[in-house]
Amino acid sequence: MIEKEEQPKKKSRREFLQQLGIVGVGTALGGSAILAGINYDKNKTDAQRIRVLTAENELLEIEKGDATKIIPSKHGNLTYLQQQGRDGIAGKRFVMVIDLSKCQNARKCMAACQHAHDLRPEQHHMNVLKMEETETTPPFYMPKPCQHCDNPPCVAVCPVDATFKRADGIVLIDNERCIGCRFCIAACPYSARIFNWAEPLNAQGDKDKVYNVELNVPQKKGTISKCLFSADQVREGKLPYCASACPNGVYYFGDENEDAVTNGTTKETFRFKKLLEDNGGYTLMPELGTKPRVYYLPPKGKTVPFQDKDREEAAEHLHHT
Amino acid sequence: MFRINISTKIVSLFIFSALFSINLSAASWDVPADKKSKNSFIKFNDASAKEGEVLYNKNCASCHGNPSKGNVLKSLKPTPPDLASDGTQKLTDGELFYILNTGRGLMPSFKNVLSENERWKVIAYMRSFNKKYVQVLSNTDPSKSELVKVNMQYDAKSNIVTVKVVAKEKTGTVVLKDAEVILFAKRYFGKLQLDKSMRTNNEGLAYFQYSKDLPGDKAGNVELIAKINDEAYGELESTTKFKIAVPTDKPSLTEKRAIWNVLVKAPIWLIITYSFGVLVFLGFLLYLVLNLLSFWKIGKI
Repeated sequence: MIEKEEQPKKKSRREFLQQLGIVGVGTALGGSAILAGINYDKNKTDAQRIRVLTAENELLEIEKGDATKIIPSKHGNLTYLQQQGRDGIAGKRFVMVIDLSKCQNARKCMAACQHAHDLRPEQHHMNVLKMEETETTPPFYMPKPCQHCDNPPCVAVCPVDATFKRADGIVLIDNERCIGCRFCIAACPYSARIFNWAEPLNAQGDKDKVYNVELNVPQKKGTISKCLFSADQVREGKLPYCASACPNGVYYFGDENEDAVTNGTTKETFRFKKLLEDNGGYTLMPELGTKPRVYYLPPKGKTVPFQDKDREEAAEHLHHT
Repeated sequence: MFRINISTKIVSLFIFSALFSINLSAASWDVPADKKSKNSFIKFNDASAKEGEVLYNKNCASCHGNPSKGNVLKSLKPTPPDLASDGTQKLTDGELFYILNTGRGLMPSFKNVLSENERWKVIAYMRSFNKKYVQVLSNTDPSKSELVKVNMQYDAKSNIVTVKVVAKEKTGTVVLKDAEVILFAKRYFGKLQLDKSMRTNNEGLAYFQYSKDLPGDKAGNVELIAKINDEAYGELESTTKFKIAVPTDKPSLTEKRAIWNVLVKAPIWLIITYSFGVLVFLGFLLYLVLNLLSFWKIGKI
């Protein structure tokens, strides 16, 4: 018994030599391979190296053989677009001011918005509401986009992190993540969100488009869509679709950090805080503590009569765009 | 007789005032003679009309619709005209340019929105709908504006920016007198006008008061744009960066811990409560397993 146990521990000379041989040959082979590699690298000419530009705008030099050609797939830069959409624009805090005294229910904002985001006529990111708060107070038109709250209840309830707030204040929805639970619709006190119950308007035409989280195009059936403050336009320094389409100078859009808002119609720029101060600016339902980024100027001195006829005429404009 | 007299007086007063008000509104549609005869230095051809179309669609189409299509915005009072119509096309280039510059009633001024070149290109697009139109080119040389040199300086004590406008002609430096100068601060979406528009004095100087509370970048820099408009030298813009603004570096809006923020930015109390809850649950499971194990051991004996 004792002999048997001890035997495997002892190494015979033959075994030792065998192992030494294997290790020796291995080392020699490995060494020569490394040497060959170094020599190959030394002899390499510039023609064998190529320069590539990464998505992060970095210029790199790599070996030709190491490069693999990417076959451009229709969803190729999806992650990039989505990442850029999540980060937002650094150093900005976007705000919108809506001057109710100027709104004449032209509905150009709605048409431009629906056109940009491929929405059905009954789907509204931006909706011009008919307001009559009491019988004695005069009625007025109130455009209502998403309020892009600084304390967004919709984002808090999302179970899959599909809807999110960005560093620049914009609240977006990622249709690729959305599971269609509609918790956010229930949570939003401003009814700013819509659900794609049916196949989206331009589903066939948008089929091959790369999904852009800053545009919500292509829209996806069974997911949420909402006002995006035209994040794709804003990235390029352009005013939102609604603001630039308005013929009556209702919309102001700008950066709170710069204390400036630009009128979408006249392109005139004003001091943001002074505009609110001079005109009695307010936010919707401040008591909820949602801290909206959309401000309203009261419908003071409104000269345009409030008529049903305006509505019919506005419907006609929706077909133009 | 006396009564009749009074009533005729009232009636005549009414008629007079009505006439006067009509005259007044008509007067405001008048274009000064020297502006009326102004012509474009840009040739109206397919290329300039095409560039003008892009600008038109962006700035004009929401009210005036597409020229000759008649899809103007009818809900506006007064209704904006279709710009291919005879009423518009019979106006001179100078009149159209003046209207673009000043705006009318509901129509805003495009003077600070579009450059002079761009405004002429919009007119080039409008004229492309008029087959009978023959252009009279202006003999002003647009390259003359390149001779103009703008020098901006600021005085932090009195909050005044001084703009000096001179032209470097071959014959020597010429001071631009009575040239219109507008000073803007560059913002992300547009240009914020500082103070009123000024005219240069005999030394070619214009003074602008700026407010100290204007937010700038992290270092307090702000880009100031001086827009010069001179009869002889045309229009140009000059930009200078000054450290006259309030340094602004506000944290991003997703920095704070909040219930709506991403997991790592969740409130501490939420992370603690949740983790504690999970631990209690796992602990309970462990307790059950250990108990089952002890039963099994007892059973084995």
